[in-house]
Order: sequence, then structure tokens, then C-alpha cells
Amino acid sequence: MRKLGSILHPYRISVMIALFLMLIELTVELLHPLLMAKIIDDGILKEDMHMVVVWGGIMVALSLLAFASGMINSFYAAHVSQGFGFDLRKQIFVKIQSFTFEKLSKFPAASLITRMTNDITQLQNTLFMGLRIMLRAPLLVIGSVILSFFVNAQIAMIFAVLVPCLIIMLVWMMGKGSRLFQNVQSKLDQVNDVLRENLIGMRLIKAYVRRDHEIKRFKTSSRTLKEKTIKALRMIETSMPVLLFIMNMGILFILWIGQAQITSGNVQVGEVVAIVNYGLRTTSALSMFSFIIMFLSRSRASASRILEVLDTEVDVRDKGETAGISGGKIAFEDVSFFYPGTKEPVLKEISFTVNEGETVAVMGGTGSGKSSLFQLIPRLYEASSGTIYIDDRPIDSLDLTFLRNQIGLVPQEAVLFSGEIENNIAWGNNTASYEQIIEAAKAAQIHETIEKLPKKYKTKIGQKGVNLSGGQKQRLSVARALVRKPKILLLDDSTSALDVKTEKRLLDALKNYSCTTLLITQKISTARQADKILLLDDGKLVAEGNHQELLKNSSLYQKISQSQMKGEMANVKAVN
Amino acid sequence: MLKQLTSPFKYKRFDLNKNDQRSKNNQKVGLKEGLRTIIKIWRYLSEKKGQFFLVLLMVLISSALALLGPYLIGTTIDEYIVTQDSNGLVFLLGGLVLVFVFHSLSLFLQNFWMIGISQFTVNEMRSDLFQHLHRLPISFFDKRQHGELMSRVTNDIENVSSTLNSSVIQIFSSLLTLIGTITVMLLLSPMLTAITLLIIPLMVIGMKWITKRTGQLFKYQQKNLGELNGYIEEAISGQKMIKAYSQEDRILKEFIVKGEELRNSGFWAQTISGFIPKVMNMLNNLSFAVIACIGGLFALNGLVTIGVIVIFAEYARQFTRPLNDLANQFNTLLSAIAGAERVFDILEEDIEKDNQSRDDESIDIKGEVVFENVSFSYEEGEDRQTIEHVSFHASPGEIIALVGPTGAGKTTLINLITRFYDADDGRIVIDGIDIHDIGRDTLRKQMAFVLQDTFLFQGTVMENIRYGRLNATDEEVIEAAKLANADSFIQKLPNGYDTLIHHDGNGISHGQKQLLAIARAMLANPKILVLDEATSSIDTITELVIQEALLRLMKGRTTFVIAHRLNTIQNADQIIVLKDGKIIEKGTHNELIEKKEFYYDMQAQHAAIH
Repeated sequence: MRKLGSILHPYRISVMIALFLMLIELTVELLHPLLMAKIIDDGILKEDMHMVVVWGGIMVALSLLAFASGMINSFYAAHVSQGFGFDLRKQIFVKIQSFTFEKLSKFPAASLITRMTNDITQLQNTLFMGLRIMLRAPLLVIGSVILSFFVNAQIAMIFAVLVPCLIIMLVWMMGKGSRLFQNVQSKLDQVNDVLRENLIGMRLIKAYVRRDHEIKRFKTSSRTLKEKTIKALRMIETSMPVLLFIMNMGILFILWIGQAQITSGNVQVGEVVAIVNYGLRTTSALSMFSFIIMFLSRSRASASRILEVLDTEVDVRDKGETAGISGGKIAFEDVSFFYPGTKEPVLKEISFTVNEGETVAVMGGTGSGKSSLFQLIPRLYEASSGTIYIDDRPIDSLDLTFLRNQIGLVPQEAVLFSGEIENNIAWGNNTASYEQIIEAAKAAQIHETIEKLPKKYKTKIGQKGVNLSGGQKQRLSVARALVRKPKILLLDDSTSALDVKTEKRLLDALKNYSCTTLLITQKISTARQADKILLLDDGKLVAEGNHQELLKNSSLYQKISQSQMKGEMANVKAVN
Repeated sequence: MLKQLTSPFKYKRFDLNKNDQRSKNNQKVGLKEGLRTIIKIWRYLSEKKGQFFLVLLMVLISSALALLGPYLIGTTIDEYIVTQDSNGLVFLLGGLVLVFVFHSLSLFLQNFWMIGISQFTVNEMRSDLFQHLHRLPISFFDKRQHGELMSRVTNDIENVSSTLNSSVIQIFSSLLTLIGTITVMLLLSPMLTAITLLIIPLMVIGMKWITKRTGQLFKYQQKNLGELNGYIEEAISGQKMIKAYSQEDRILKEFIVKGEELRNSGFWAQTISGFIPKVMNMLNNLSFAVIACIGGLFALNGLVTIGVIVIFAEYARQFTRPLNDLANQFNTLLSAIAGAERVFDILEEDIEKDNQSRDDESIDIKGEVVFENVSFSYEEGEDRQTIEHVSFHASPGEIIALVGPTGAGKTTLINLITRFYDADDGRIVIDGIDIHDIGRDTLRKQMAFVLQDTFLFQGTVMENIRYGRLNATDEEVIEAAKLANADSFIQKLPNGYDTLIHHDGNGISHGQKQLLAIARAMLANPKILVLDEATSSIDTITELVIQEALLRLMKGRTTFVIAHRLNTIQNADQIIVLKDGKIIEKGTHNELIEKKEFYYDMQAQHAAIH
């Protein structure tokens, strides 16, 4: 909770002003009856128009004051609430971005999204209400109770008993309510999750005609959400009638006692009337209370969900070295790795060295650990054991941002963001000039394709870049990596969707980039052109060397070669 | 310190008229449009009409009792306390207890039922939205961000929900109280009533000024919230790339920009909505002062008794409260309308046109596919079409390989066969029937796919494979997995076939995902098989192993294969070579080699690299 308070801290002056202005409004409102009484008693009853006008005028003046306060209060309250929401969102976002993948996997994406929008909006609204009117009802009640004591302490004692009881009830309700609302929010997460999955996989759902299945699934989640919401809301809404009843009975009690006291002469009629009046005001203020409790319990539920994210420990990243990478020599020393939460190691004691500027092909069966190996180099995941060196420096001694800026990773599945092509490429290097972008696009063999588009580099591509073909997306991803001018280029099967000719042109163009290139490929024809080949099998490095060496020494490599030669032989026959 | 004092006044002013041309519904937030939306919401509500009227009845009872209570108390004081008549007092007090009991009971019931009704309505809207989304064409989704659509289900519907929960009752109860008090006021003094009602025109002017702005502002707020939602979703989905490229700061910057937009529209929406109660209060107090003065004048001139004025003042105070409530509720209603409109916007999107005239399960597709002069492009007005004048003929059971340079239009052709998109020109004929006359679902049920984007659903491995044929037995699933060479790696997973995977699919490599997708296709019993780069991420040894199974799968089924690897394409009955959206060569592998044209060149390049 303190964390949330600290976000509010910069706004403390606005908060105080808002509260102060609200107090002015409230005071005027409390004075209202007195002024009314004055107008009636001193003016109308005494048939003194002059007094009526005087007191009327005071009333108008005070109303104007309250009005001005109220209007200004709006500004301050909105400022605080919106500012709070904005700052909180920013903090959570920064937090999420600092999560490692392991931490990230603890929160489903849909749930994070709900927390960042829906939950924060709840808090915002509560804050706004709080600074404007939420305190009004409680203050009115307190004010009424206190004033009634001034009228007649004896009878007012009834309030002293009643009100605390009501408060205890309200607090209990709030506690129960917030637990129920937490359930509601997590059901909302689920609904969101199903929806998101459907949106991502819409093609597949249409292709397999699984619409009905998915609709059923969604309806189930949605229905559960409905039920939980009903339960929570009903619990809170029940509070008001009960409170009202108790309060009303209290007033009856006052009437009863009052009557007895009047008969015995201890109390005057006017006093009873006044206290009953205050009682009635309190009762009418009660309708606000169920509203308030609702807001508060929802906010408490939302707050705890938000704090769950904010309180997640993030390993403090030591400020590592920010210099010392010049060539891009890579060395793995006894590196093993398994994904968090799994027991089977995906990489087993891998050791190899890649020299500066070399082009190395990484091959291996499906699931042999190639992509995982790649992910360790920019430290997207940390190796479970062993050390990885770049230019003879262990990568965990390097500053993370610095390290990643030296690397250009092209993943297997192209991830493009909504926006213009130019921006998508420049994403790899914020300071890239237009010429540099074009240069990278040319090397990636995508420049000509872009030029043929209606808006060329300014063409917008949708989420995940759906208007482009698979091969085009791949090439765009390559361009993005190239524009960085990285020291280490990691191409994860980035040519699988390219035809032979384009692939060759790409690889040739890469020769002009002085960087160490690791490329995952299935094709011997590609691997052949590399300086060295690393062959992985079931997480182990089983062979290392160039094409000729491997052909001689590795049975696995021979097998792979043969499987591809089968096609080759037929082809050679045909060509001849 | 000074900065803090003045910052609430430094927000960017909103030019409400300027931003209007972008929205396709360039309707201003008029009363008409708002009413239309309310009617649409009512249609959902009306299913629970009976309960709803019960609720209104309860509101009537509770409002009446709420007025009765204080009145009786007043009577109690006047008649029994002042006169010290204790017998009558007990009687009246007893009556009051009853009143209070029924008051609370009716309040309870009205809320209890209303919550049920409102959540029912909201649930229906949610389900409808979801169902409608599934009827929309793929092109709709290609243009939208996931998160922005998600926002409509969560944030926008939430607005509707919170309004229905309480506002409806409040509005009715306020209206009733209002009518009740005006009646009493009229009975007391028509003249004073008339004066009191003078504030109403002032109120209307004030409200109009305010709601003209808040109506628009709420719309913008929801729009900005949707956009922010969309951005967050993308950022979270793309964390791998963002981290790998150290783009956290850049992403944060853009996030801040969107957050600022939301903050701005939210600020103005909240501030200006906040004016309503203040304006109301002001007018109330003014009117009271006026009544006091004029009432006093009347009293002095004997037009009205003092007692009447006092009671009148009390009721006038009672009159202004529901008026305030109504004004506030009206504003909340605007917020709900803004949310509801975003939901209805989607519900009114045109669904995929589907003639459905032959959406008949018994149609047994044999698998003859003919393209007659088909042309298509994704965007209108592009100078070059993605596919131009494509014609070919595939007999049932033939294997057709689609080859060509990247971007030639191969996947687009597949999109047309599967009717993800419809051709702009030309005809596609399946078994002699125009593809437009076959229901999309019917068509797709007879197809199986392995697409470029392999996508796994949240569920077990078993469930994911079973997606190919929902009624397959466990044995059949495992058999298909074995054929696809996926069984061995599945066995190594923590829970084997019962291992839960999420669509992000961590722990399973890309190639393994493809094997699962192939297993899925093998499980289905399709007449038309589509393999789009199905083995691109699979190593060639594994590919050889499953080759046999794949060939067996393809036998007797019309298969469209897109691949770059030679072994995959050379077994085809027909190879179609696409370049720049046009077919430049057609034939078997041998025929094309002999021609020594484009295909030959492609393969020669391939051989040269070998």
C-alpha cells in the first residue's frame, strides 16, 4: 500500500487543495440549515423582509463560494486521479519490461493487460470520487452526530452507540467485498485470455471450423464472470437496506426516548425535533455509503492485483561493463541450459569457439536446442551452468543493454509491430538515417519489394505484419537486425521461406558486413558456405568443423547430407 | 510548489470539432444517437422484461415509503410528542416500524433483481460481441490490433455494466421522488412552485453545455483507452524482440505518448462531468434564496401562510436532491453510451458474405479445384494485383506444388482456396460448383491445413492434436502423432500427452510445433490438404522420415503444397510456377526441366549451390 501512496506523493499539494475546497463546500452545506432557520425565524416569522434579504444575500454569497470551490475542486481532483493513473501505469509497464521470461510466465499476458487498464481505472475513479464527494457522506454523518450532541447530549448518546456499530458492519462488508471482487477480476482475466487467444489464432479457428467450440468456451468463461459479479454486487448492495433499517430504528428509538424525556421535562420538543432532523440527514447520507463501500472494495481488490505485479522481485541488474566488444568472438564453455520449470536440459555441456568475423552454421534435428542456444547469447535466458564469453569477457559481466546492442537477433517467427515499414526497420537502430535503413533493406533483399508497395517505406503493416508474405516478413526482420550494424548476427532459420536465389543473394550481401554470423539452417547447401558448422543432437554438440571435415567424420552429418542429396541426385540427373 | 498549484490548469485544451472527421460515424453526440444506443441496450434487457417491471414496482414502493417515513415522523412529532399522547405514539411508532421494514425490503429486492438483470444484459452483449467477431472476415482482423478489440469486451462493457447496476434504479427513483414532491408542492402553493420551476430552464442550459462536451470526451476517453490497450498487448507479446534489441526505452516512450493522450481526455471528461453537481447545487441554493425572499413577500402580503412557506421550503429542498441525482445519472448514462457504442460498432460490422445456399453436411467434395482467370489484391487501388489472371486445373487427388520467388502470391492463392479472402475477378470452382455457393464452413470442414503460422491453443498436447478431428479417440491421436514423428518428443515432455501448453508454446521448439500441426492434419480426414511451408523448420532427416507418412496423407487427396525444398516438390503431379502474381509455367518436374525456362533456372541455381 505504501507503494501506491508514494505514487500519490507528488500530488500531495493538489490533494490538500482539493480536500480543502471540499471542506469549504461541505461547511457551506452544513450551514445551510442554520441559514434557512435564520431566514425563517428572523425574517419570515418576524415579518422582517430586510432580514430575509440580508440572510438570503448571505446564503447566495456562500453558495457562490461553494460553487467556485466546487468547480476548482473538480480540476484538482481530476488532475490527481489522472496523474496517479498515468504514473501507476508507467511504473507497472517499466516493471513488466524488466521481468525476465521466467517472471513474465507467472502472469498470463491477458491478466497483465487487465491490470494495467481495468484495475487502474477502478483506482482512478475511486480517487476522484474520494477527493470530491466520497468524504461528504461520512463528514455529514460525523458533523450531524457532533452537532446533535450540542443539542442534547443525553439523547445523542444513541448515535454514539449506533454509528460505531454501523461502521463496524461497513468495514466487515468492505473486507468481504474486496475478496469477492478479486475473484471477479480474475474471471475477467480469463475472459480476456480466451478472447486474446481467439484473436491470435483466428485463421486457424476458421480453417478448422472450430468456431462453435470456441464460442462455447467463451460463453462458459463469460457466464462464470457474470455469476461472480452478481455475487459480489449483491453482497454489497444488501448492506444499504440493512443499514437503513438499523438507522431508522434508531430514530424511532430516539422518538420513543424523546417522548419519555419530554414528559419528564428533561428535554424540550425543539431539541428532539433537531436531533431527529440530524438523524434523518444521516439516514439520507447512508445511500451514499453503499456506493462508497462498493468503490472501496473494488479498489482494494484492484490495488492488491496491481501490487502483486509491483511487488515482484526483480533481480537487480549489476551495472556491467560497457566496453570491450570489438570483434565478436564467441566462446561457450561447458554451457548447459534448461527452461525454467522444466527438468530436461535442452543444452548439455556445450563448448565451442567462434572466431571474429567467422560465419558459422548451426545444424541439428528438430528440437536439438539450436534456438535455445541463440537465446543465451543476448541473455534472454541465463545459462544454467557454464560460461559464455564474448571477446574473452564473460557475458554476465557486461551491461545488459550494451551487450544486446552488439547483437542482431532474427528469430524464427518474425515479429513486426504495427506501424510503417520504415519504423519497423529503424526499430533496430533508433539513430539510423534514412540511407542506413535503405542500405540494410537492400542487403536483406527486401528493398525492391518495398519499392513496389503503394506507399513504399511509409506503408503501414498491421499487427504481426499480416499483409506481407512469410518470406517478406523474414527479410524485413533481417533488415532490422542489419541496420544495427551488430558485431554478432544471429539468424535463426531466417531463410527458410526464401527461394534459393534470394537466399544466396542474401548470404552474399552479408559477407559485406564485418560481423560474426551464426546461422541456424536445415540446408546443407547453406551450411556448406559457412566457415564452420556446429552440429547439435539432443542438446549435445556432436560435431564441429567445416563441410568436408564433417562429411568425413560425422555419421549424423552424412545422414543429413544424404537425405538432402536424394533430391540433389534426382536433380543432377534431370539437369544433365 | 507553484507548479503544483497551477498544473491542473495546464492541460491541453480539447478541440472537439477538429477531431471529428476521422471517425467514420461522424455523428455528433446528439440526443438521437444516444437514444438509439439506449434502445439497442433495451433490446437485450427486454428479455427480462417481467423482472424489470417488478424492479420498477419495487422502486415505486421504496420511493413512496422513503417519502412516507419522514412525513410520518413529522406527524408523530406534531401530534403525539407535542401533545404527549403516548398511546397514539405507540400506534404510530408501530406503523413506522412496518414502513421501515417494507422500505428496506423493497430496497433489497429492487437491487437484488436489478443486479441480476443488468449482469444478464451485459453477459448477452459480451457473448454476442464474441460470436459476431467470429463471423467477420479475416481482412477485418488484419487491420486491427488485438488489444484494441479486447478493450471493447473489458473496458467498454464495464461502463455499461456499472451504469446498469445502479443508474437505472436511481433514475427511476429520482423521477418518482421528483413527481411526488412536485405534486405536494403544487398542492401547497402553485405560485411558489412555478417560481421554483423557473430554475429548470437554467439547468437545461447548463446541462446542455456540459453534456455536449462530456459526451464527446467520454468517447475519446474510451477510444484512447482502447488504443492504449492495443499497444500494451503488442508490447507484452513482443517482449522477446524488445529485450533482444534493447528497445525497452523506445517502447516506453511510445507508451508514454499514448498514456498522455488518455490522461488528457480523461482529465477533461472527469473535470467537466464534475461540474454538474456544482452547477446544480448553485442553482438550488439560488432558487431557495429566491423562494425565501418571494415567499417572505407573499407572506407579508397575506398571500400565503408562514407555515406553508416553511413546509414548502422543506419540500423544495427535497425537490432539488432528485434533480441533482438525475443530472448526475444523465452524465453516467453518457459514459455508458460511449462504451456501448464501441460495442455496437463491432456488432454492426458486415459479416462475411456467405451464400450458404449449399451449407449442407452431405456435400461430399471430391476435390477437383479449378481456377478460371482469377485476380485479387489485398488493398484496393494497388497498381499491381497480388494475383493476376491465374488459371489452372487440379483433378481430385492430385498433388499440386506451388513454387516461385518469395512474395509471388503462393500463400495468397491458398487464402483464396480456403476463402479467407474472396477473389476480385474470375471464378474458383470446386467439383463444378462455384466456390461462392459452398458455405465456408462446409468447405473448410473438408480441408486440413498446415499453415505458416503454427498456433497452439491453451490445452494439453492431446487436445491440440485432437483439434484436427474433435471426435477422434486417444489411440487415433497417438497414431497420428507417431506418423508425424512427434510421438518421441511428446513422450519426453513432463506429462507426455497431458502436458499443458500455452499458445506462446514455450518449451516446444518451432519445428516441434510444426510436427504437432502435421499430426493435427493427419488426424483430420480431408478431401483437400493444404501444406504451406509445412516442413520449413524441420530438419531434413526428420522430413524424410515423415515423408512417407506425408505422401500417404496426400494420396487420394487434392493437395496444395508450398515449399522451397526440392524433395517436397518433385513428387508433385503438377508444379505451378508463380512469379509476380502470374503463372509463368505449369507442368511436371521433368516437363519443366526439359523446357529449360524459369523452373529449370531455379533448380540449376539450386544444383550450382550444391
